[in-house]
Amino acid sequence: MLRREALRALLDRVTTEPIVANLGSATFDLFAAEDRPANFYTSGAMGLVSSVGLGVALAAPDRKVFVVDGDGSILMNLGSLATIARMGPANLVHIVLDNHQWAETGGQPTHTAAGTDLAEVAKGAGIPHVAAVTTLEGLEEALDRAVAEDGPWCIVAEIEETGHGPRPIFNPEENLLIFRRTFVP
Amino acid sequence: MADAMAWYDSVIQSLRDHDIWLVPYVPDAAGWNVVSRLEQDPAFLTVPSAREEEAVGIAAGAYAAGKRSAVFMQSSGFGNTVNGLAQLAISHRIPVPLFIGMRGGLGEFNSVQVPAAQAIPRVLDALNIQHYAPDREEDVSKVVDGAIELCYAARYPVAVLFYSGLVGAKRATS
Repeated sequence: MLRREALRALLDRVTTEPIVANLGSATFDLFAAEDRPANFYTSGAMGLVSSVGLGVALAAPDRKVFVVDGDGSILMNLGSLATIARMGPANLVHIVLDNHQWAETGGQPTHTAAGTDLAEVAKGAGIPHVAAVTTLEGLEEALDRAVAEDGPWCIVAEIEETGHGPRPIFNPEENLLIFRRTFVP
Repeated sequence: MADAMAWYDSVIQSLRDHDIWLVPYVPDAAGWNVVSRLEQDPAFLTVPSAREEEAVGIAAGAYAAGKRSAVFMQSSGFGNTVNGLAQLAISHRIPVPLFIGMRGGLGEFNSVQVPAAQAIPRVLDALNIQHYAPDREEDVSKVVDGAIELCYAARYPVAVLFYSGLVGAKRATS
């Protein structure tokens, strides 16, 4: 499964729900697939996207909130999984696209290439609904459940790294304000 | 003249007056005077965080979804927040009020607390984050009110530092 296929599967299952995207490839490919007002491109602060998503989910309990994370990023912030588990937001769906590498910096293998199993880490942290998928069909099935059933969910999806779409030009401040207006007109 | 409110009650009143709702924190002895009371108060949701940078991220997410936060931490963990402040809060113009219990000053018993605490004002200056330190109980309301107002008006983090002169020095436990 490619990152853009995984993002398409997610986009096909949302209307106005917020998607909080990791910096780098997740942002580039989400922007290319569909630049919607409810997309928050975190742009920087590697590792923090799951924390940002938790903040959105706690603040907006009536909306499903999707986070698109990466393996290199969540490895920087594993404590976030435990914090999410402790707070237990039913509306949070944390998707980790695991390409087993730091793709932005030249494809160096991350710890998941050496055996770290992020789905087991998520379970161990106490996330109640965890899915590990390796195919697009598997991801679609997991997303259907995560949309229909209470979470918090963590879906670890193995993807094949084939590069990302064009690097978009946008202003982080403007993106934040557009996203925020989907909550506070 | 009536006695000044306890410093932590003044902080709580100011948080309430400014519609602060979410309080991500990593516990410390000074801040716990505030956070432990907020945990019992249905007007607030406290979020125990594994690391200080997470707390900044959670606060940023809540602001993105239209809610106000205040982050509590100890000086020893402030360094963990720098990337989140620089690359998330400041670069997206997200206001995050920071409340930092300062170790490393008068009455400090633990030498390792000193260098991190001494660096904080200069690190905040380098990030263009304004910082204020009330040193008398009767000044706490004015400082905290002003800091939160400034933070949201400027859409930029602002820090309030609580030194031992106000909150008392943490004592060594045997």
